[in-house]
Amino acid sequence: MPTYTLSDLAKLADVTPRTIRYYITQGLLPSPGQQGPSTRYDDSHLGLLRVIKKLQNAHLPLAEIRARLRKITGEDMATLASSTDAETPADSAVDYIRRVMGEPTAPPPMASEPPPASYRVVASTSEPEAQRSQWERIPLDPDVELHVRRPLTRQHNKRVERLITIARQLFEED
Amino acid sequence: MPCTTLKLSARSDRRFIRSTYRSNRFILAEVVAPHAHEQTERKRPPVNLAFVLDRSGSMSGEKIRLAKQAVEYSIARLQSDDRFSIVTYDDVIDVVVASTTATAQARQDALARLATVDARNQTNLGGGWLRGAEQVALNLAHEGVNRTLLLTDGLANVGITDRDELARHAAELRTRGVATTTFGVGTDFDEVLLQAMATAGGGNFYYIADARSIADYVTSEVGEALDVVAREVTLEITAPEAASVESLSPFPVERRAARTVISLGSMVAEQVVQVVLRLNLPLGELGRETGAVLALGDSDGLPDNATQTLSWEYADSKSNDLQERDAEVDRAVARVFAARARQDATRFNRAGDFPQAQAALHAVAKRIRSYAGRDPEMRALIAELELDASTLAAPMPAAALKEMHFRSYASAKMRMADGKAFRRTSS
Repeated sequence: MPTYTLSDLAKLADVTPRTIRYYITQGLLPSPGQQGPSTRYDDSHLGLLRVIKKLQNAHLPLAEIRARLRKITGEDMATLASSTDAETPADSAVDYIRRVMGEPTAPPPMASEPPPASYRVVASTSEPEAQRSQWERIPLDPDVELHVRRPLTRQHNKRVERLITIARQLFEED
Repeated sequence: MPCTTLKLSARSDRRFIRSTYRSNRFILAEVVAPHAHEQTERKRPPVNLAFVLDRSGSMSGEKIRLAKQAVEYSIARLQSDDRFSIVTYDDVIDVVVASTTATAQARQDALARLATVDARNQTNLGGGWLRGAEQVALNLAHEGVNRTLLLTDGLANVGITDRDELARHAAELRTRGVATTTFGVGTDFDEVLLQAMATAGGGNFYYIADARSIADYVTSEVGEALDVVAREVTLEITAPEAASVESLSPFPVERRAARTVISLGSMVAEQVVQVVLRLNLPLGELGRETGAVLALGDSDGLPDNATQTLSWEYADSKSNDLQERDAEVDRAVARVFAARARQDATRFNRAGDFPQAQAALHAVAKRIRSYAGRDPEMRALIAELELDASTLAAPMPAAALKEMHFRSYASAKMRMADGKAFRRTSS
């Protein structure tokens, strides 16, 4: 798994390095150990920073954010860190081929949901928030915005993603 | 086989981005595989190949003889750690040689059985290919190179015939460890299908205009499988959450949480692969920096040092308008857009829509002209595109269309004009 310098991490999470250091001192982010120019951060730090940012956008005070982050278990942390690993297909290549060809296969393993993306971890630990819908403004151009009320169903979300992709192509800068 | 010497270098076309607009910036990432000698401490990974041959009526005579010869030459290069199988198909699928280790005896037996194969009926391309993939899958070499080689001169007209469905199966099999390479012979095969299967399947696609070159192409692909120094190489890009990442080069792309993962397939010694990416970056505060981290991975372990960070600074319109461009990135972007436009144009031409074929090429030529300046390479590309536009304004022979379609594919994928791997030593 690739690791990030403090400056990389700040750029990827759209915060300043100072903010990251502050979060570490406040216990919002785990300490990466000894701090210095060679300190490396990983995907769990990036995942947590993005979670913190979402909670801040919902205007939650830092204390509340800290309380919610504490609910993230060790297992969830592992998920945060590993959510970028490839999903292992549920069946083998042989079973897949036999199914396509309409032939008997070994009993398939129980279908499992893919591991949740990092930002879903908190939603699942905060039921009241999960029910509340929120309008998101997506700027397409200085004069045009798309407003989307989230959460969306998976199918709707796909359509909106497509809409944004097409709209962005239309409004390409140059 | 921890591969410690895959090299990554990446650059962006421009340094500044707009603070009040979303910006598109292009990245040119180059991955160079090590020389085989840098890895002398290890043996090459074993290969596990299925040769899938079309034996439908159209292959009769010279073509089937040459295809069988290609398999004969190919298995002669394997060693006893390697595995192979041979499947033929028309409307009926025959596993001529079930997956076996490539011992001298097994190779000899295979030749005897191959000698009995002759061309017959219709074409169950999908079924034949899946059978071949099954032979590879039954003995998947977890440390090796697992690949199905499909050779055909015709269309899929029995069994699964839908292009999208076959490409989807190829992608599913790639994620389950079996890659697909395709060879189209002559002028009657479906290059859109074969290219889609190879792209989704993480293998290569070859156009063989003249059946006499079948052995050359097939043995070359087998030679590449034997010369793999890094298996299943991936380029992973982590970008800010509000950014979107798109590969303009024809490689399979997956999103995994914060990352965009581009599968470059297995790489042979000294192979050079370039990937052109388009990032759509969000607006931001003047003076702030944003960035993307690129990292390499392969199925044998990720070297810690193969990462690179690219940064952009939010700047005002004037700085954005006056900033310098990286000509090398611009050239790569121009090449990949030209290749895509040529593929579109050949499809329009085949469908008889000549104005659309011309329009596709004129549009991309115009776009490249807007940033080419006096760069000789980009100006030459524009001239070629204009020339192609006039050629494609009238019906073209099938072979010429296939040739143009194939060269565009090879160029976009950074392979040689004949589809073979581009190596540092080839230049």
